[in-house]
Amino acid sequence: MARILHVDDSSFSRLQIGKVLKGAGHELLQADNGRTGLLAVQEQTPDLIITDILMPEMDGIAFLEALRDQGNRIPVLVVTADVQHDTRSACLSLGAVALLNKPPRDDALLSAVDRALGRGGA
Amino acid sequence: MVRLSDDLLDALREVINIGVGKAAGTLNELLGHHILLEVPQVVVLGPDEMAAHLCQRPDETVSLVVLQFSGQFSGLSTLMFTSDSASKLVDLLVGEETPVDELDVIKTGTLTEVGNILLNAVMGSIGNLLGSRLSYTIPTYQEGALGQLLQPIIRQESAALEVTTRFTVQSRQITGEFLLLFEVLSFDTFVAALETALQG
Repeated sequence: MARILHVDDSSFSRLQIGKVLKGAGHELLQADNGRTGLLAVQEQTPDLIITDILMPEMDGIAFLEALRDQGNRIPVLVVTADVQHDTRSACLSLGAVALLNKPPRDDALLSAVDRALGRGGA
Repeated sequence: MVRLSDDLLDALREVINIGVGKAAGTLNELLGHHILLEVPQVVVLGPDEMAAHLCQRPDETVSLVVLQFSGQFSGLSTLMFTSDSASKLVDLLVGEETPVDELDVIKTGTLTEVGNILLNAVMGSIGNLLGSRLSYTIPTYQEGALGQLLQPIIRQESAALEVTTRFTVQSRQITGEFLLLFEVLSFDTFVAALETALQG
């Protein structure tokens, strides 16, 4: 079991992804943009961060940049509706360990989480 | 009315088809139901013709998600459901879990995110095919009479291309429509990118 912070402005996606993570036994923390996500990182030290990209106040790219600038080493998995190749490249170059497009399949999400946590997986 | 060659119009239909096909695959993942697609209707309109053409069903009550895009070409992409289809879609996705006092909030949140996912699939696929990086604004959701919703977003000087494509969730009578509007100046850029892609 890991403590996972999910950052997404969509209540629908937080609900759907939250169900999958909790169903796999993970502890779930949630934030609705990058700014509140940064606060949650500082206060609750998650094992893994899952973030959306297109969000108000602070988007996922700025969130990744802030984490990088802080020297944060918590693995970050991006789950976004943006299917553009450049977005994938930008996220990976900012340190994200992987990017999944919405809606992620349950097994793909959990495999990506396991891999990000260094627990293998397909 | 702006004229495109048959080859270019065919390429435009195919690019839109690929984008909508990606969106249909995404919706299939979300719902677990097969999605039927119709061939896109592509109409290239002069700016002055756009408002009249788009508001042929002004009194129809719809749910509308709007995603603005900008970059090499700019405009608006919209996903439109009739109110009946919108309700069925929300029921299918979150129905049995919805507390009555939170229905409107959950309906808005669900349809906004479905619109965000599907419109990103369409526009992102088009951007990838044409090698054009797009930026997006946060999607917005509105419901009401089609004419009232569309009038403010159709600016006489800024609309040039209407792409309408309809999809149906088989067995559930859920139908939606994508509508893409490009700004006039960036439409020329879009056509140039399409010509480049067509030449391989």
